[in-house]
Amino acid sequence: MTFLSMHDVRFEFPGWPPVVRGIDLDVAEGQIKCLVGRSGSGKTTVLKLAAGLLTPSSGAVELRGSPPSSHRRDIGFVFQSPTLLEWRRVIDNVLLPVSLRSAPTAGDRDQAEQLLAQLGLGGYGDRYPRQLSGGQQSRVALARALILQPALLVLDEPFAALDAITREELQADLLATCRERGTSALFVTHDIGEAVFLGDEVMLLHDGLIVKREAITLVRPRAASVRYTPAFAVHAMALRDLMEHVSDSPGIGRPGDRRSLAPAPIDALNDCASAPP
Amino acid sequence: MAACVAKPSRVAIRVWSWAIFALLLVGWELATRTMGLSALVLPPPSAVGQSLWKGIASGYLLPHIVATMTELVLGMTLGCVIGFVAGVAMAESSRLRELLMPYVVVSQVVPKLALMPLFILWFGFGMTSTVVITALICFFPLLENTMMALTRVPPERIELFRMLDASRLQTLVRLKLPTGLPAILAGLRIALVLALVGAVVGEFVGASRGLGALVIAAQGTMDTPLMFAVLTLIALIGLVAYQSALWIERRLLLPYTYDA
Repeated sequence: MTFLSMHDVRFEFPGWPPVVRGIDLDVAEGQIKCLVGRSGSGKTTVLKLAAGLLTPSSGAVELRGSPPSSHRRDIGFVFQSPTLLEWRRVIDNVLLPVSLRSAPTAGDRDQAEQLLAQLGLGGYGDRYPRQLSGGQQSRVALARALILQPALLVLDEPFAALDAITREELQADLLATCRERGTSALFVTHDIGEAVFLGDEVMLLHDGLIVKREAITLVRPRAASVRYTPAFAVHAMALRDLMEHVSDSPGIGRPGDRRSLAPAPIDALNDCASAPP
Repeated sequence: MAACVAKPSRVAIRVWSWAIFALLLVGWELATRTMGLSALVLPPPSAVGQSLWKGIASGYLLPHIVATMTELVLGMTLGCVIGFVAGVAMAESSRLRELLMPYVVVSQVVPKLALMPLFILWFGFGMTSTVVITALICFFPLLENTMMALTRVPPERIELFRMLDASRLQTLVRLKLPTGLPAILAGLRIALVLALVGAVVGEFVGASRGLGALVIAAQGTMDTPLMFAVLTLIALIGLVAYQSALWIERRLLLPYTYDA
């Protein structure tokens, strides 16, 4: 069942060319979809539109059939940086979404402690954010996004600043948490490997347009070793080749480029990507 | 190969600081005695100390200290409350900011001492005029710092609160004010120093009581040691007030400074 749907969405700042256009995107319940693309391709804008932080200039964004701004409780947003409140303890940061609605109960505290433990931070509740490493802060941000048990997680390159091993640990944590709770996720990253590992589908965004959709056929649950399988490499290579190709072709995806305005160019791009050099 | 220089400890730095102060006093004392300078121009520190002790022991200085401290506290409270409230209001409303900012700037570019005769005319000769000028001097740093702190909260944090459906009041109280607290407290510290200047300068012109008025009186009677004694007291009050503000600031900002 479709949970989040974006249909022909366009967004522009007045007087400027569109940041994103023609965005068609569906996320079903329990599904994880990833958006990859180079810096400035419009990934964060798509996320903000999906979360209701931006209103589309045209097109429709719907979460369970109504605008996402009316379902904020159902969406957990994880930003690029952990955005923790450094004057509040870790447990208070996790409970922030609850405490903005009413005073947290003992049950809420237990749930927050449980979430922290699940993410490997058991016993860290009384610390302050500055006493944690970057990876631990990202985990706290994830726990905060999950505390209200949202049906949709929206994540904007949350692990980009972390080292490779911590990133892999967090990716595994995220997959396990989403599987356990049946949470859907829309995940933005510029790391193709991360997108293939996490996603059921990876969409390549270029100049504000989705130019490729790659269904990931890797089985779930995914262990870390899946990264070293041929199937993983095939998905990753296909996306990487295409990403390089669209970056080398300045016309593709730009306004005024006819190929970018219809589905045809995507097929053409696929042909290009699979054609021998 | 670069030489390895040991970093001096905090105690050593403090000892050196006091040693420099003692050296300055000794140098000053020796210079006034050996160079034959008149006590009217530059009294030796021993004469200043004597005058200070005499004034305190006789109770002569006490009402003046009380008057200056009262003006300082009242002016500072009035100025800071107005500065803080105006800072919050102008940070929250860009229209209000555009409307009022020119008036705020004009109130600061006009030399405060030039306004004193007008204040004496409006509020009378005495404490009220001095309190008003003190408040006028110290409200600006708090207004400026509060406004700057509240308008420069990282946009990601604002978006986080939007995502969490926080009301405008919740965003102000639970995000903007705590995020801006370090800058607001820095403004408070600057306001405190300026408030003392305001109170003393106000007393120069508009009061018969207070340390500023006493400096003018001592000048009139050519009692230079008393002038120095009063200046020493003003410096001491400033130092104690500044250190107290610093202590409060450190206590309030403790959660912001916990490191791994």
